[in-house]
Amino acid sequence: MDYRAAFQISAAGMAAEKLRLDVTALNLANMHAAGTSAEQVYRPQRVVTQTVSFSQQFGQLAGAMAGVQTTVVLQNVAPRMVYEPGHPYANAKGMVAYPGVDNVTEMVTLNTALRAYEANVTAMNAARTMAARALDIGGQQ
Amino acid sequence: MSIEPVSLTAGLSAILPAATPAVDGFLPPATVQQPAPGFGDMVTRGIDSVNDTLVKADNEVRQVAAGGGPSLHEVMIHLEEARLSFQLLAQVRNRLLDAYQEVMRMQV
Repeated sequence: MDYRAAFQISAAGMAAEKLRLDVTALNLANMHAAGTSAEQVYRPQRVVTQTVSFSQQFGQLAGAMAGVQTTVVLQNVAPRMVYEPGHPYANAKGMVAYPGVDNVTEMVTLNTALRAYEANVTAMNAARTMAARALDIGGQQ
Repeated sequence: MSIEPVSLTAGLSAILPAATPAVDGFLPPATVQQPAPGFGDMVTRGIDSVNDTLVKADNEVRQVAAGGGPSLHEVMIHLEEARLSFQLLAQVRNRLLDAYQEVMRMQV
């Protein structure tokens, strides 16, 4: 059934947004994980999505999951240095390295991923409704 | 379960001689061909594929309930696919029954 293609497209979008949410949650979870040194501190990650070229996508529609390629990359941000002299990981100047996670950006990414996921679900439901309507053709006289 | 397609030609091939020598001036007799896969085959294949979809969705639900398997949205989408293919099967059956009843109502 060709409606499977529409479902697969939505599924690819949903998988990408789910990964984005997972990575954002990981960044938020490690936000306060201090590192023993500035080099060893957790580096926030980001999901980079990339569209597959149209012809390639068109050829794969019937088959495997197509549409979005996702890669998780490490962000190159400087660690946040906080003055905490009593901390066991404090350096000679009393500074502790925390990951440079931007709280606001992460929250916005979280919300964006949530809305995009919802949009994908809505698109899939629309496709399903269309298929069900098509099956109603000629029914009940 | 498989439905044997009704074929008139299958019985004929036993009666007709396999190969008659061509007579001058006449075309050689047409050879009897094997009947194409009938409607029954098609319906059976459809039922099989719908059943496969249902079994696959069922297995995935089991896996997710056990705490593993594919992601949740994949499972839900496969469930929807299974439901749609079953609805398609039901609609085909409805149309078929309508056609049958139409034939039965026919005045002979």
